[in-house]
Amino acid sequence: MADKIDIKNVAKLASIKLNQEEEDRLKNDLSMIIEHFDALSKMDLPDDKISIHPLGMSLNLAEDIASKSLTHKEALSNAPESKDGQFVVPPSLD
Amino acid sequence: MNIIPTIGMETHVELKTNSKMFCRCHVLDTESPNESLCPTCLGLPGSLPVPNKKAIEFITLLALSTNCSITNDGMFHRKNYFYPDLPKNYQISQFDLPVGTEGSLEIVVDGEFGTVEIERVHMEEDTGKSTHIGSGRIDSATSTHLDFNRAGIPLVEVVTKPLIKSSKEAVAYIEELRQLVIDLDISEGKLEKGNLRFDANISVAHEGDKELGTKVEIKNMNSLKSLEKAIEYEISRQTKMLIAEENIIQETRHWDEKKEVTSSMRSKEGSADYRYFSDPDIPNMILSNDFVNEIKKIIPELPSQKRKMFIETGLSIEDANNLGKNKNWIGDLYRSITKITGDSKSSFNWVTGELQGQLRKLEIKDLPNWVTPKNLSEIILLVKEDKISFTSGKEILANLIEQEIVPEEFASENNLIQENNIEEISKIVEEVIENNSEVLERIANGEEKLIGFLVGQIIKISKGQVNPSVAKELLLKEISS
Ligand SMILES: [Zn+2]
Repeated sequence: MADKIDIKNVAKLASIKLNQEEEDRLKNDLSMIIEHFDALSKMDLPDDKISIHPLGMSLNLAEDIASKSLTHKEALSNAPESKDGQFVVPPSLD
Repeated sequence: MNIIPTIGMETHVELKTNSKMFCRCHVLDTESPNESLCPTCLGLPGSLPVPNKKAIEFITLLALSTNCSITNDGMFHRKNYFYPDLPKNYQISQFDLPVGTEGSLEIVVDGEFGTVEIERVHMEEDTGKSTHIGSGRIDSATSTHLDFNRAGIPLVEVVTKPLIKSSKEAVAYIEELRQLVIDLDISEGKLEKGNLRFDANISVAHEGDKELGTKVEIKNMNSLKSLEKAIEYEISRQTKMLIAEENIIQETRHWDEKKEVTSSMRSKEGSADYRYFSDPDIPNMILSNDFVNEIKKIIPELPSQKRKMFIETGLSIEDANNLGKNKNWIGDLYRSITKITGDSKSSFNWVTGELQGQLRKLEIKDLPNWVTPKNLSEIILLVKEDKISFTSGKEILANLIEQEIVPEEFASENNLIQENNIEEISKIVEEVIENNSEVLERIANGEEKLIGFLVGQIIKISKGQVNPSVAKELLLKEISS
Protein backbone atom coordinates (compact mmCIF):
# COMPACT_ATOMS: atom_id res chain seq x y z
CA MET A 1 0.00 0.00 0.00
CA ALA A 2 2.73 2.47 0.98
CA ASP A 3 4.28 2.31 -2.47
CA LYS A 4 1.10 3.77 -3.97
CA ILE A 5 1.66 7.05 -2.15
CA ASP A 6 3.69 9.74 -3.87
CA ILE A 7 4.66 11.50 -0.65
CA LYS A 8 6.77 14.12 -2.45
CA ASN A 9 3.76 15.22 -4.51
CA VAL A 10 1.49 15.27 -1.46
CA ALA A 11 4.02 17.47 0.36
CA LYS A 12 4.25 19.78 -2.65
CA LEU A 13 0.44 20.14 -2.85
CA ALA A 14 0.31 20.90 0.86
CA SER A 15 3.15 23.38 0.40
CA ILE A 16 5.31 21.85 3.14
CA LYS A 17 8.96 20.74 3.18
CA LEU A 18 9.76 17.26 4.55
CA ASN A 19 13.09 15.67 5.37
CA GLN A 20 13.69 11.97 4.64
CA GLU A 21 12.70 10.85 8.13
CA GLU A 22 9.43 12.82 8.02
CA GLU A 23 8.68 11.52 4.54
CA ASP A 24 9.01 7.91 5.73
CA ARG A 25 6.92 8.45 8.85
CA LEU A 26 4.10 10.31 7.03
CA LYS A 27 4.07 7.81 4.21
CA ASN A 28 3.52 5.10 6.77
CA ASP A 29 0.75 7.09 8.50
CA LEU A 30 -1.02 7.81 5.23
CA SER A 31 -0.94 4.21 4.10
CA MET A 32 -2.56 3.14 7.37
CA ILE A 33 -5.39 5.61 6.73
CA ILE A 34 -5.86 4.32 3.19
CA GLU A 35 -5.85 0.71 4.38
CA HIS A 36 -8.56 1.65 6.85
CA PHE A 37 -10.74 3.04 4.05
CA ASP A 38 -10.05 -0.06 1.99
CA ALA A 39 -11.38 -2.13 4.86
CA LEU A 40 -14.48 0.08 5.09
CA SER A 41 -15.22 -0.22 1.39
CA LYS A 42 -15.15 -4.02 1.67
CA MET A 43 -18.02 -3.96 4.17
CA ASP A 44 -21.42 -5.04 2.93
CA LEU A 45 -23.76 -2.12 3.64
CA PRO A 46 -27.15 -1.20 2.19
CA ASP A 47 -26.86 1.91 -0.05
CA ASP A 48 -29.11 4.10 2.07
CA LYS A 49 -26.87 3.66 5.08
CA ILE A 50 -23.93 5.24 3.28
CA SER A 51 -23.47 8.90 4.14
CA ILE A 52 -21.50 11.07 1.78
CA HIS A 53 -21.30 13.85 4.29
CA PRO A 54 -19.72 13.86 7.76
CA LEU A 55 -22.57 15.95 9.20
CA GLY A 56 -25.90 14.19 9.36
CA MET A 57 -27.86 17.39 9.88
CA SER A 58 -29.87 19.58 7.54
CA LEU A 59 -28.65 22.91 6.35
CA ASN A 60 -29.58 26.16 8.03
CA LEU A 61 -29.54 29.12 5.70
CA ALA A 62 -29.02 32.69 6.89
CA GLU A 63 -31.27 35.55 5.86
CA ASP A 64 -29.52 38.02 3.57
CA ILE A 65 -29.23 40.76 6.17
CA ALA A 66 -25.84 42.40 6.41
CA SER A 67 -24.51 43.09 9.86
CA LYS A 68 -21.54 44.85 11.34
CA SER A 69 -18.12 43.59 10.33
CA LEU A 70 -14.76 44.16 11.91
CA THR A 71 -13.46 47.69 11.70
CA HIS A 72 -10.79 48.28 9.09
CA LYS A 73 -8.23 48.64 11.89
CA GLU A 74 -9.32 45.42 13.60
CA ALA A 75 -9.22 43.49 10.33
CA LEU A 76 -5.63 44.49 9.69
CA SER A 77 -4.48 44.28 13.31
CA ASN A 78 -3.04 40.75 13.05
CA ALA A 79 -1.40 41.22 9.68
CA PRO A 80 2.41 40.90 9.84
CA GLU A 81 2.59 43.66 7.23
CA SER A 82 0.16 46.14 5.74
CA LYS A 83 0.32 49.24 3.58
CA ASP A 84 -2.27 51.73 2.26
CA GLY A 85 -5.01 49.76 3.99
CA GLN A 86 -4.03 46.53 2.23
CA PHE A 87 -2.51 43.28 3.45
CA VAL A 88 1.04 42.87 2.17
CA VAL A 89 2.41 39.42 1.32
CA PRO A 90 5.47 38.18 -0.57
CA PRO A 91 5.11 38.48 -4.37
CA SER A 92 2.83 35.88 -5.91
CA LEU A 93 1.91 35.24 -9.49
CA ASP A 94 -1.46 34.72 -11.05
CA MET B 1 -9.55 18.71 -44.78
CA ASN B 2 -11.51 21.25 -42.77
CA ILE B 3 -10.33 22.27 -39.34
CA ILE B 4 -13.11 22.74 -36.81
CA PRO B 5 -12.81 24.86 -33.64
CA THR B 6 -14.59 23.88 -30.43
CA ILE B 7 -15.25 26.35 -27.64
CA GLY B 8 -16.49 25.94 -24.08
CA MET B 9 -17.25 28.92 -21.84
CA GLU B 10 -16.83 29.28 -18.09
CA THR B 11 -18.60 32.33 -16.73
CA HIS B 12 -18.63 33.74 -13.21
CA VAL B 13 -21.68 35.74 -12.25
CA GLU B 14 -21.47 37.94 -9.17
CA LEU B 15 -24.85 37.88 -7.43
CA LYS B 16 -26.40 41.05 -6.05
CA THR B 17 -27.04 40.17 -2.46
CA ASN B 18 -26.73 42.49 0.54
CA SER B 19 -24.37 40.22 2.42
CA LYS B 20 -21.62 37.78 1.48
CA MET B 21 -22.09 34.06 0.71
CA PHE B 22 -20.99 32.52 4.00
CA CYS B 23 -20.89 35.49 6.41
CA ARG B 24 -23.01 38.56 6.89
CA CYS B 25 -20.44 41.15 5.88
CA HIS B 26 -21.85 43.84 3.58
CA VAL B 27 -21.28 43.46 -0.13
CA LEU B 28 -19.66 46.86 -0.67
CA ASP B 29 -19.04 48.79 -3.87
CA THR B 30 -16.08 50.81 -2.64
CA GLU B 31 -12.54 51.64 -3.58
CA SER B 32 -11.43 51.68 0.09
CA PRO B 33 -9.75 48.34 0.74
CA ASN B 34 -10.58 45.91 3.55
CA GLU B 35 -13.68 47.68 4.86
CA SER B 36 -16.01 44.69 4.94
CA LEU B 37 -14.32 41.77 6.66
CA CYS B 38 -15.04 39.39 9.51
CA PRO B 39 -13.36 36.31 10.96
CA THR B 40 -15.21 34.04 8.48
CA CYS B 41 -14.22 35.79 5.24
CA LEU B 42 -10.71 36.34 6.63
CA GLY B 43 -10.44 32.60 7.26
CA LEU B 44 -9.63 32.99 10.94
CA PRO B 45 -9.60 29.78 13.00
CA GLY B 46 -12.85 28.92 14.75
CA SER B 47 -15.12 30.82 12.36
CA LEU B 48 -18.03 28.99 10.72
CA PRO B 49 -19.62 29.59 7.32
CA VAL B 50 -23.43 29.84 7.04
CA PRO B 51 -24.78 29.98 3.47
CA ASN B 52 -26.84 32.95 2.30
CA LYS B 53 -30.49 32.03 1.64
CA LYS B 54 -30.97 34.72 -1.00
CA ALA B 55 -27.92 33.50 -2.93
CA ILE B 56 -29.32 29.95 -2.92
CA GLU B 57 -32.63 31.31 -4.23
CA PHE B 58 -30.80 33.29 -6.92
CA ILE B 59 -28.75 30.34 -8.19
CA THR B 60 -31.87 28.15 -8.22
CA LEU B 61 -33.62 30.82 -10.32
CA LEU B 62 -30.70 30.81 -12.76
CA ALA B 63 -30.46 27.01 -12.90
CA LEU B 64 -34.20 26.69 -13.58
CA SER B 65 -34.12 29.46 -16.20
CA THR B 66 -31.32 27.68 -18.06
CA ASN B 67 -33.42 24.50 -18.14
CA CYS B 68 -31.11 22.66 -15.73
CA SER B 69 -32.02 19.64 -13.63
CA ILE B 70 -31.85 20.66 -9.97
CA THR B 71 -29.74 18.59 -7.59
CA ASN B 72 -31.97 18.17 -4.55
CA ASP B 73 -29.27 16.59 -2.44
CA GLY B 74 -26.24 18.76 -3.07
CA MET B 75 -23.27 19.85 -1.05
CA PHE B 76 -20.37 22.26 -0.78
CA HIS B 77 -16.78 21.22 -1.36
CA ARG B 78 -13.45 22.75 -0.52
CA LYS B 79 -11.25 23.51 -3.52
CA ASN B 80 -7.74 23.62 -2.11
CA TYR B 81 -5.02 25.81 -3.48
CA PHE B 82 -2.38 28.13 -2.13
CA TYR B 83 -2.86 31.60 -3.41
CA PRO B 84 -3.11 34.68 -1.20
CA ASP B 85 -6.34 36.02 -2.74
CA LEU B 86 -8.21 33.45 -0.63
CA PRO B 87 -7.19 33.69 3.01
CA LYS B 88 -8.49 30.20 3.92
CA ASN B 89 -6.22 28.48 1.36
CA TYR B 90 -9.35 26.96 -0.08
CA GLN B 91 -12.40 28.21 -1.87
CA ILE B 92 -15.81 26.92 -0.90
CA SER B 93 -17.28 25.66 -4.15
CA GLN B 94 -19.24 22.70 -5.51
CA PHE B 95 -17.70 19.66 -7.13
CA ASP B 96 -19.73 16.63 -8.18
CA LEU B 97 -23.12 17.77 -6.86
CA PRO B 98 -23.71 21.27 -8.30
CA VAL B 99 -27.08 23.02 -7.99
CA GLY B 100 -27.89 22.62 -11.70
CA THR B 101 -26.81 20.22 -14.44
CA GLU B 102 -27.60 19.50 -18.10
CA GLY B 103 -29.28 22.72 -19.15
CA SER B 104 -29.52 24.81 -22.29
CA LEU B 105 -29.86 28.41 -23.35
CA GLU B 106 -31.42 29.77 -26.54
CA ILE B 107 -29.23 32.36 -28.27
CA VAL B 108 -29.51 34.58 -31.35
CA VAL B 109 -26.63 34.60 -33.84
CA ASP B 110 -26.84 36.60 -37.08
CA GLY B 111 -30.61 36.86 -36.79
CA GLU B 112 -31.12 33.13 -36.28
CA PHE B 113 -31.79 30.96 -33.25
CA GLY B 114 -29.12 28.73 -31.79
CA THR B 115 -28.71 26.70 -28.61
CA VAL B 116 -25.85 26.53 -26.13
CA GLU B 117 -25.72 23.42 -23.96
CA ILE B 118 -25.05 24.09 -20.28
CA GLU B 119 -23.04 21.49 -18.39
CA ARG B 120 -23.41 22.82 -14.86
CA VAL B 121 -24.38 25.78 -12.70
CA HIS B 122 -22.69 25.84 -9.32
CA MET B 123 -22.35 28.06 -6.26
CA GLU B 124 -19.08 29.37 -4.90
CA GLU B 125 -17.47 32.39 -3.29
CA ASP B 126 -15.47 35.17 -4.91
CA THR B 127 -11.79 35.80 -4.15
CA GLY B 128 -10.09 38.98 -2.94
CA LYS B 129 -8.30 41.36 -5.27
CA SER B 130 -4.53 41.18 -5.49
CA THR B 131 -2.26 43.91 -6.81
CA HIS B 132 1.32 43.11 -7.69
CA ILE B 133 3.65 45.87 -6.61
CA GLY B 134 7.01 46.46 -8.24
CA SER B 135 8.56 47.85 -11.34
CA GLY B 136 7.01 46.82 -14.62
CA ARG B 137 6.63 43.14 -15.28
CA ILE B 138 4.31 41.02 -13.18
CA ASP B 139 7.04 38.44 -12.50
CA SER B 140 9.42 41.06 -11.13
CA ALA B 141 6.95 42.20 -8.45
CA THR B 142 8.42 42.87 -5.03
CA SER B 143 5.22 42.31 -3.05
CA THR B 144 1.53 41.57 -3.44
CA HIS B 145 -1.16 43.79 -1.88
CA LEU B 146 -4.50 42.30 -0.91
CA ASP B 147 -7.98 43.73 -0.58
CA PHE B 148 -10.49 41.17 0.71
CA ASN B 149 -13.70 43.23 0.33
CA ARG B 150 -14.66 40.99 -2.60
CA ALA B 151 -13.60 37.75 -0.86
CA GLY B 152 -16.73 35.76 -0.05
CA ILE B 153 -19.19 37.55 -2.34
CA PRO B 154 -21.58 34.94 -3.81
CA LEU B 155 -20.51 33.80 -7.23
CA VAL B 156 -22.28 31.46 -9.63
CA GLU B 157 -20.20 29.62 -12.18
CA VAL B 158 -21.95 28.63 -15.38
CA VAL B 159 -20.07 26.10 -17.50
CA THR B 160 -21.12 25.24 -21.06
CA LYS B 161 -20.41 22.03 -22.89
CA PRO B 162 -17.61 22.36 -25.44
CA LEU B 163 -20.03 22.63 -28.34
CA ILE B 164 -19.75 26.31 -29.27
CA LYS B 165 -18.48 26.64 -32.83
CA SER B 166 -17.49 30.28 -33.33
CA SER B 167 -16.54 33.53 -31.62
CA LYS B 168 -19.89 34.97 -32.70
CA GLU B 169 -21.74 32.16 -30.92
CA ALA B 170 -19.66 32.70 -27.79
CA VAL B 171 -20.41 36.43 -27.80
CA ALA B 172 -24.13 35.79 -28.39
CA TYR B 173 -24.10 33.35 -25.48
CA ILE B 174 -22.54 35.87 -23.07
CA GLU B 175 -25.01 38.53 -24.25
CA GLU B 176 -27.90 36.15 -23.59
CA LEU B 177 -26.60 35.09 -20.17
CA ARG B 178 -26.06 38.73 -19.23
CA GLN B 179 -29.62 39.66 -20.24
CA LEU B 180 -30.93 36.65 -18.34
CA VAL B 181 -29.26 37.56 -15.02
CA ILE B 182 -30.44 41.17 -15.43
CA ASP B 183 -34.03 40.09 -16.14
CA LEU B 184 -33.93 37.64 -13.23
CA ASP B 185 -32.66 40.56 -11.13
CA ILE B 186 -29.95 38.43 -9.54
CA SER B 187 -26.87 40.36 -10.74
CA GLU B 188 -25.98 43.85 -11.95
CA GLY B 189 -24.61 42.09 -15.03
CA LYS B 190 -22.08 44.84 -15.70
CA LEU B 191 -19.04 43.53 -17.57
CA GLU B 192 -17.00 46.66 -16.88
CA LYS B 193 -17.51 46.18 -13.15
CA GLY B 194 -16.59 42.51 -13.26
CA ASN B 195 -20.09 41.28 -12.36
CA LEU B 196 -19.71 38.90 -15.29
CA ARG B 197 -16.28 37.39 -15.95
CA PHE B 198 -15.57 34.74 -18.53
CA ASP B 199 -12.85 32.34 -19.65
CA ALA B 200 -12.89 30.40 -22.92
CA ASN B 201 -11.62 26.85 -23.51
CA ILE B 202 -10.61 26.46 -27.11
CA SER B 203 -9.39 23.53 -29.18
CA VAL B 204 -9.19 22.71 -32.86
CA ALA B 205 -9.41 19.36 -34.66
CA HIS B 206 -9.77 17.99 -38.16
CA GLU B 207 -13.39 17.60 -39.22
CA GLY B 208 -14.59 14.12 -38.43
CA ASP B 209 -11.97 13.46 -35.74
CA LYS B 210 -13.47 11.43 -32.90
CA GLU B 211 -11.61 13.29 -30.17
CA LEU B 212 -11.35 17.00 -29.45
CA GLY B 213 -7.96 18.67 -29.85
CA THR B 214 -5.82 19.83 -26.92
CA LYS B 215 -7.71 22.35 -24.83
CA VAL B 216 -6.23 25.80 -24.21
CA GLU B 217 -7.82 28.11 -21.63
CA ILE B 218 -7.94 31.84 -22.40
CA LYS B 219 -8.24 34.33 -19.54
CA ASN B 220 -8.37 38.08 -19.08
CA MET B 221 -11.03 39.06 -21.60
CA ASN B 222 -12.86 42.06 -20.17
CA SER B 223 -15.34 42.90 -22.90
CA LEU B 224 -17.37 41.21 -25.61
CA LYS B 225 -15.05 42.79 -28.16
CA SER B 226 -11.97 41.25 -26.52
CA LEU B 227 -13.78 37.90 -26.17
CA GLU B 228 -14.46 37.86 -29.89
CA LYS B 229 -10.93 38.94 -30.83
CA ALA B 230 -9.25 36.55 -28.38
CA ILE B 231 -11.20 33.55 -29.69
CA GLU B 232 -10.49 34.51 -33.32
CA TYR B 233 -6.80 34.89 -32.54
CA GLU B 234 -6.56 31.61 -30.64
CA ILE B 235 -8.42 29.62 -33.31
CA SER B 236 -6.07 30.92 -35.98
CA ARG B 237 -2.97 30.27 -33.81
CA GLN B 238 -4.01 26.67 -33.14
CA THR B 239 -5.14 26.08 -36.73
CA LYS B 240 -1.72 27.11 -38.04
CA MET B 241 -0.05 24.80 -35.52
CA LEU B 242 -2.31 21.89 -36.46
CA ILE B 243 -1.57 22.35 -40.15
CA ALA B 244 2.16 22.53 -39.41
CA GLU B 245 1.74 19.40 -37.26
CA GLU B 246 3.15 21.23 -34.26
CA ASN B 247 2.37 20.12 -30.74
CA ILE B 248 -0.36 22.21 -29.07
CA ILE B 249 0.28 22.39 -25.33
CA GLN B 250 -2.53 22.23 -22.78
CA GLU B 251 -2.10 25.51 -20.94
CA THR B 252 -3.65 28.75 -19.77
CA ARG B 253 -3.05 31.77 -21.95
CA HIS B 254 -3.58 35.43 -21.22
CA TRP B 255 -5.34 37.78 -23.68
CA ASP B 256 -3.19 40.87 -24.18
CA GLU B 257 -5.61 43.70 -24.89
CA LYS B 258 -2.96 46.04 -26.34
CA LYS B 259 -1.03 43.62 -28.54
CA GLU B 260 -4.18 41.64 -29.40
CA VAL B 261 -2.47 38.28 -28.91
CA THR B 262 -2.74 35.46 -26.39
CA SER B 263 0.42 34.58 -24.50
CA SER B 264 1.34 31.71 -22.22
CA MET B 265 1.02 32.31 -18.48
CA ARG B 266 3.62 30.77 -16.24
CA SER B 267 1.80 27.72 -14.95
CA LYS B 268 1.14 27.10 -11.29
CA GLU B 269 3.15 24.10 -10.15
CA GLY B 270 0.92 21.07 -9.71
CA SER B 271 -2.09 23.34 -10.08
CA ALA B 272 -4.51 20.79 -11.50
CA ASP B 273 -4.88 18.91 -8.24
CA TYR B 274 -7.36 20.84 -6.11
CA ARG B 275 -8.02 17.92 -3.74
CA TYR B 276 -11.75 18.62 -3.48
CA PHE B 277 -13.45 17.25 -0.41
CA SER B 278 -16.85 17.94 1.16
CA ASP B 279 -16.71 20.92 3.49
CA PRO B 280 -17.16 19.47 6.98
CA ASP B 281 -18.37 22.87 8.26
CA ILE B 282 -21.46 22.98 6.04
CA PRO B 283 -24.21 20.35 6.14
CA ASN B 284 -25.63 18.91 2.91
CA MET B 285 -27.51 21.45 0.87
CA ILE B 286 -30.98 19.98 0.49
CA LEU B 287 -33.12 21.82 -2.02
CA SER B 288 -36.55 20.37 -1.34
CA ASN B 289 -39.13 20.08 -4.10
CA ASP B 290 -41.26 22.57 -2.18
CA PHE B 291 -38.42 25.08 -2.22
CA VAL B 292 -37.80 24.55 -5.94
CA ASN B 293 -41.51 24.89 -6.72
CA GLU B 294 -41.68 28.18 -4.82
CA ILE B 295 -38.77 29.49 -6.90
CA LYS B 296 -40.48 28.33 -10.12
CA LYS B 297 -43.41 30.58 -9.22
CA ILE B 298 -41.29 33.73 -9.12
CA ILE B 299 -39.48 33.28 -12.45
CA PRO B 300 -40.19 36.49 -14.41
CA GLU B 301 -40.64 36.76 -18.18
CA LEU B 302 -37.35 35.45 -19.60
CA PRO B 303 -35.43 36.95 -22.56
CA SER B 304 -36.45 33.99 -24.77
CA GLN B 305 -40.13 34.49 -23.89
CA LYS B 306 -39.93 38.23 -24.54
CA ARG B 307 -38.35 37.46 -27.90
CA LYS B 308 -41.09 35.01 -28.80
CA MET B 309 -43.76 37.54 -27.94
CA PHE B 310 -42.07 40.30 -29.96
CA ILE B 311 -41.71 37.95 -32.93
CA GLU B 312 -45.43 37.23 -32.72
CA THR B 313 -46.09 40.97 -33.22
CA GLY B 314 -44.26 40.73 -36.55
CA LEU B 315 -40.67 41.63 -35.71
CA SER B 316 -37.67 39.76 -37.12
CA ILE B 317 -35.65 37.57 -34.74
CA GLU B 318 -32.85 40.16 -34.79
CA ASP B 319 -35.13 43.12 -33.97
CA ALA B 320 -36.98 41.11 -31.31
CA ASN B 321 -33.65 40.20 -29.72
CA ASN B 322 -32.46 43.82 -29.71
CA LEU B 323 -35.75 45.08 -28.31
CA GLY B 324 -35.45 42.60 -25.43
CA LYS B 325 -32.12 44.09 -24.44
CA ASN B 326 -33.79 47.36 -23.51
CA LYS B 327 -35.41 48.31 -20.22
CA ASN B 328 -38.75 46.58 -19.73
CA TRP B 329 -40.78 49.77 -20.18
CA ILE B 330 -39.39 50.16 -23.71
CA GLY B 331 -40.67 46.70 -24.63
CA ASP B 332 -44.04 47.43 -23.00
CA LEU B 333 -44.30 50.74 -24.85
CA TYR B 334 -43.51 49.00 -28.14
CA ARG B 335 -46.21 46.40 -27.44
CA SER B 336 -48.87 49.08 -26.87
CA ILE B 337 -47.81 51.16 -29.86
CA THR B 338 -47.66 48.31 -32.34
CA LYS B 339 -51.21 47.33 -31.32
CA ILE B 340 -52.42 50.81 -32.31
CA THR B 341 -50.33 51.31 -35.46
CA GLY B 342 -50.48 47.74 -36.70
CA ASP B 343 -46.96 48.30 -38.07
CA SER B 344 -44.34 46.43 -36.05
CA LYS B 345 -41.27 47.57 -37.99
CA SER B 346 -42.06 51.33 -37.83
CA SER B 347 -43.13 51.03 -34.20
CA PHE B 348 -39.83 49.29 -33.40
CA ASN B 349 -37.78 51.86 -35.31
CA TRP B 350 -39.50 54.82 -33.70
CA VAL B 351 -39.35 53.46 -30.15
CA THR B 352 -35.79 52.09 -30.16
CA GLY B 353 -34.37 54.65 -32.60
CA GLU B 354 -35.90 58.12 -32.50
CA LEU B 355 -37.58 58.08 -29.09
CA GLN B 356 -34.68 56.52 -27.21
CA GLY B 357 -32.17 58.63 -29.12
CA GLN B 358 -33.90 61.89 -28.23
CA LEU B 359 -34.38 60.87 -24.58
CA ARG B 360 -30.71 59.93 -24.35
CA LYS B 361 -29.63 63.26 -25.85
CA LEU B 362 -31.72 65.13 -23.30
CA GLU B 363 -30.50 62.77 -20.56
CA ILE B 364 -34.09 61.90 -19.65
CA LYS B 365 -34.30 58.51 -17.92
CA ASP B 366 -38.09 58.11 -17.68
CA LEU B 367 -40.72 58.93 -20.22
CA PRO B 368 -42.72 62.10 -19.30
CA ASN B 369 -46.20 60.96 -18.27
CA TRP B 370 -47.97 62.80 -21.11
CA VAL B 371 -45.99 60.89 -23.72
CA THR B 372 -48.38 58.01 -24.26
CA PRO B 373 -48.66 55.08 -26.67
CA LYS B 374 -51.63 56.98 -28.13
CA ASN B 375 -49.89 60.23 -29.09
CA LEU B 376 -46.68 58.42 -30.11
CA SER B 377 -48.74 56.21 -32.41
CA GLU B 378 -50.35 59.34 -33.84
CA ILE B 379 -46.93 60.62 -34.95
CA ILE B 380 -45.96 57.23 -36.40
CA LEU B 381 -49.22 57.00 -38.34
CA LEU B 382 -48.94 60.59 -39.67
CA VAL B 383 -45.54 59.69 -41.13
CA LYS B 384 -46.65 56.28 -42.33
CA GLU B 385 -49.63 57.77 -44.16
CA ASP B 386 -47.38 60.41 -45.74
CA LYS B 387 -49.32 63.23 -44.07
CA ILE B 388 -46.07 64.56 -42.66
CA SER B 389 -42.42 63.94 -43.55
CA PHE B 390 -40.14 61.81 -41.41
CA THR B 391 -38.21 64.96 -40.48
CA SER B 392 -41.44 66.63 -39.33
CA GLY B 393 -42.26 63.51 -37.31
CA LYS B 394 -38.97 63.85 -35.46
CA GLU B 395 -39.68 67.53 -34.85
CA ILE B 396 -43.14 66.79 -33.45
CA LEU B 397 -41.66 64.07 -31.22
CA ALA B 398 -39.08 66.51 -29.84
CA ASN B 399 -41.89 68.94 -29.01
CA LEU B 400 -43.99 66.19 -27.47
CA ILE B 401 -41.15 65.20 -25.14
CA GLU B 402 -40.91 68.85 -24.07
CA GLN B 403 -44.59 69.58 -23.54
CA GLU B 404 -48.05 68.12 -23.84
CA ILE B 405 -49.19 68.59 -27.45
CA VAL B 406 -51.59 66.85 -29.81
CA PRO B 407 -49.40 65.73 -32.75
CA GLU B 408 -51.94 66.27 -35.52
CA GLU B 409 -52.91 69.74 -34.23
CA PHE B 410 -49.26 70.66 -33.84
CA ALA B 411 -48.62 69.56 -37.42
CA SER B 412 -51.43 71.75 -38.81
CA GLU B 413 -50.50 74.77 -36.71
CA ASN B 414 -46.91 74.57 -37.86
CA ASN B 415 -47.66 73.89 -41.54
CA LEU B 416 -46.14 70.43 -41.44
CA ILE B 417 -48.99 68.67 -43.22
CA GLN B 418 -47.78 67.60 -46.64
CA GLU B 419 -49.65 68.31 -49.85
CA ASN B 420 -50.66 64.97 -51.21
CA ASN B 421 -53.17 66.27 -53.67
CA ILE B 422 -51.74 65.11 -56.99
CA GLU B 423 -53.40 67.93 -58.95
CA GLU B 424 -51.92 70.60 -56.69
CA ILE B 425 -48.47 69.06 -56.84
CA SER B 426 -48.68 68.59 -60.61
CA LYS B 427 -49.30 72.31 -61.00
CA ILE B 428 -46.12 73.10 -59.08
CA VAL B 429 -44.19 70.48 -61.07
CA GLU B 430 -45.31 72.07 -64.33
CA GLU B 431 -44.31 75.49 -63.06
CA VAL B 432 -40.85 74.28 -62.12
CA ILE B 433 -40.37 72.57 -65.50
CA GLU B 434 -41.38 75.72 -67.34
CA ASN B 435 -38.92 77.87 -65.42
CA ASN B 436 -35.96 75.50 -65.67
CA SER B 437 -35.62 74.56 -69.33
CA GLU B 438 -31.83 74.90 -69.14
CA VAL B 439 -31.61 72.45 -66.24
CA LEU B 440 -33.88 70.02 -68.05
CA GLU B 441 -31.58 70.08 -71.04
CA ARG B 442 -28.59 69.22 -68.82
CA ILE B 443 -30.53 66.37 -67.24
CA ALA B 444 -31.30 65.08 -70.73
CA ASN B 445 -27.54 65.20 -71.38
CA GLY B 446 -26.86 62.90 -68.45
CA GLU B 447 -26.53 65.18 -65.40
CA GLU B 448 -29.06 63.13 -63.46
CA LYS B 449 -28.12 64.53 -60.06
CA LEU B 450 -29.86 67.76 -61.08
CA ILE B 451 -33.20 65.96 -60.61
CA GLY B 452 -32.61 66.49 -56.91
CA PHE B 453 -32.26 70.21 -57.53
CA LEU B 454 -35.64 70.34 -59.24
CA VAL B 455 -37.30 68.32 -56.46
CA GLY B 456 -35.84 70.88 -54.06
CA GLN B 457 -37.44 73.68 -56.11
CA ILE B 458 -40.82 71.96 -55.94
CA ILE B 459 -40.57 71.61 -52.16
CA LYS B 460 -39.45 75.23 -51.84
CA ILE B 461 -42.43 76.56 -53.81
CA SER B 462 -44.81 74.40 -51.77
CA LYS B 463 -43.22 75.77 -48.59
CA GLY B 464 -42.20 72.29 -47.58
CA GLN B 465 -45.65 70.83 -47.79
CA VAL B 466 -45.01 68.44 -50.65
CA ASN B 467 -43.91 64.90 -49.97
CA PRO B 468 -40.48 64.65 -51.66
CA SER B 469 -41.01 61.12 -52.97
CA VAL B 470 -44.35 62.06 -54.54
CA ALA B 471 -42.79 65.18 -56.05
CA LYS B 472 -39.93 63.19 -57.55
CA GLU B 473 -42.26 60.59 -58.96
CA LEU B 474 -44.44 63.21 -60.69
CA LEU B 475 -41.40 65.10 -61.94
CA LEU B 476 -39.85 62.00 -63.52
CA LYS B 477 -43.17 61.19 -65.13
CA GLU B 478 -43.39 64.68 -66.63
CA ILE B 479 -39.80 64.66 -67.90
CA SER B 480 -40.06 61.28 -69.57
CA SER B 481 -43.36 62.08 -71.29
ZN1 LIG C 1 -17.20 38.33 6.45
